[in-house]
Amino acid sequence: MEVFLTTLKAVIDNLGATVVLPIIIFFVALIMGAKPGKAFRAGVTIGIAFIGINLVIGLMWGTLSGVAQAMVTNWKITRDVVDVGWPSAAAIAFGTDVGLWVIPIAIIVNLVLLVLKVTKTLNIDIWNYWHFAFLGSMVYMVSQNLTYGLVAAAIAAALALFLGDWTAKAVQDFYKLPGISIPHLTTAPGVPFAIFTNWLIDRIPGVKNWKVDPDTIQKRFGVFGEPVILGLVIGLILGAMGYYNAEQAAVKILQTGMNLAAVMLLLPRMVQILMEGLIPVSEAAREFMKKRASDREIYIGLDSAILIGHPAAISSSLVLVPIIILLSIILPGNRVLLFADLAIIPFVVALFAPLMKGNIFRMIVAGILELGAGFYIATNMAPLFTAAAQNAGFAMPEGASQITSIGDGFLWPQFVFTKLFEALGVIGLVVVAALLVVAWIFYLKSPAKWEEAAGAPAKK
Amino acid sequence: MDTPKRILVACGTAIATSTVVAKGIEEILKERGIQVITRQCKASEVRSLAGDADLIVTTTPVPSDLGVPVIQTLAFLTGIGKEEVIEQIISELQK
Repeated sequence: MEVFLTTLKAVIDNLGATVVLPIIIFFVALIMGAKPGKAFRAGVTIGIAFIGINLVIGLMWGTLSGVAQAMVTNWKITRDVVDVGWPSAAAIAFGTDVGLWVIPIAIIVNLVLLVLKVTKTLNIDIWNYWHFAFLGSMVYMVSQNLTYGLVAAAIAAALALFLGDWTAKAVQDFYKLPGISIPHLTTAPGVPFAIFTNWLIDRIPGVKNWKVDPDTIQKRFGVFGEPVILGLVIGLILGAMGYYNAEQAAVKILQTGMNLAAVMLLLPRMVQILMEGLIPVSEAAREFMKKRASDREIYIGLDSAILIGHPAAISSSLVLVPIIILLSIILPGNRVLLFADLAIIPFVVALFAPLMKGNIFRMIVAGILELGAGFYIATNMAPLFTAAAQNAGFAMPEGASQITSIGDGFLWPQFVFTKLFEALGVIGLVVVAALLVVAWIFYLKSPAKWEEAAGAPAKK
Repeated sequence: MDTPKRILVACGTAIATSTVVAKGIEEILKERGIQVITRQCKASEVRSLAGDADLIVTTTPVPSDLGVPVIQTLAFLTGIGKEEVIEQIISELQK
């Protein structure tokens, strides 16, 4: 197996993700039962998306690196870990050696756990398999062993199913989505933070009754929900901080603003192309899995994008944007320069809502805790993140800034996986798997109690 | 020739689920000979873009006071009930 993988890796490294991924996608789509013509177009489209994403990352990165360097000189603050956003993280994850295999691996994990009646979720959200590839890539970078990376990706796929099952009843009740679960590794890791925040706030007299009205917030903070304007304003502010004393300061500041506004519009467009290419694969995989899943009650696992329109998710994120920008400046030891992922915050907070009955004040507090911790996780993990990007063939100039993203660079699962591996080697992976198995056993023993803890209504 | 109808497709990101819906609508309506222009957006942008649209199709809750018909559906993602939603979209467009 190892020899086979090593040989294959050598071939793949030579060709690069823009060539290899189309080929792999073509075959995966064919095997799942897509028509050859569609499968071929899907593969080519995905290759194009990679080229597009690479171009935009180049623009963003060139702009932000310059600013970051100028900030060090002007203000003596080191913010040299650039937030390139989850669209870049997804492209990187799919582009690494782990990403090439993640779709078949996650489908197998899902079908096996369904057949064994361990999980109820059929995760047809193929696009979000990138999270598993991302976790796997981090372990691969730390271990330099592809097999371990693939095992980590498989564990991550199982973790998502567990979190999806556990939170399903809460999601179905609060968001009125019968039969749906959200096995999404940007959203589900927030649940423990929400449980802790509730516990904490319930113990503070007075504060425990605080509430904030979503409508006023949407009206006052609406601009933070418009990425292009946000990109422009942040660009102008960063440009002013970096270049106020430079030659032709005005030109440089205005250019920084326009470049970053452009990134906010272009990066999602490029990822749309990637998504478009994945549609035939994801539709074929959906039918493939449905045919093989049993007839008993199953949840359809979907993207947390379907939760984000809820006023509680939108409003709390709008308030969190300025707060975490402030945190990024004042937190000692933080090196992250926030930018592209300010738009992902609704995903981070979406599963707080059922637990907190949509109480925005509490959602904001939980968001501050999760993202505040995230700055340190991301600063710590940035070298691995950057190495994964290089593995995926993205152009990263030597010795320049490092990269991260809020989804999933700020979140705890990847941190736990890699730190346990660093400490214990392969036993670390065994520990992660064992912890998951234990949690799952306890959950299956008394599902109602667990589901209530995640925000499901109490059974009468 | 009729001007094509404009459909605004919304989801959380304007990237993931809305792409599936937008491409699904375009493909099926093209087969039936109906021309449409789709535009994808985030749920938070719906209010500012709704004015330009004849119909909004969304995978996530959006405000209901936009003055434009809204269809909220997961059918394009799950494959369940897709036919009915297509019929619903066509009948809204023909109003």
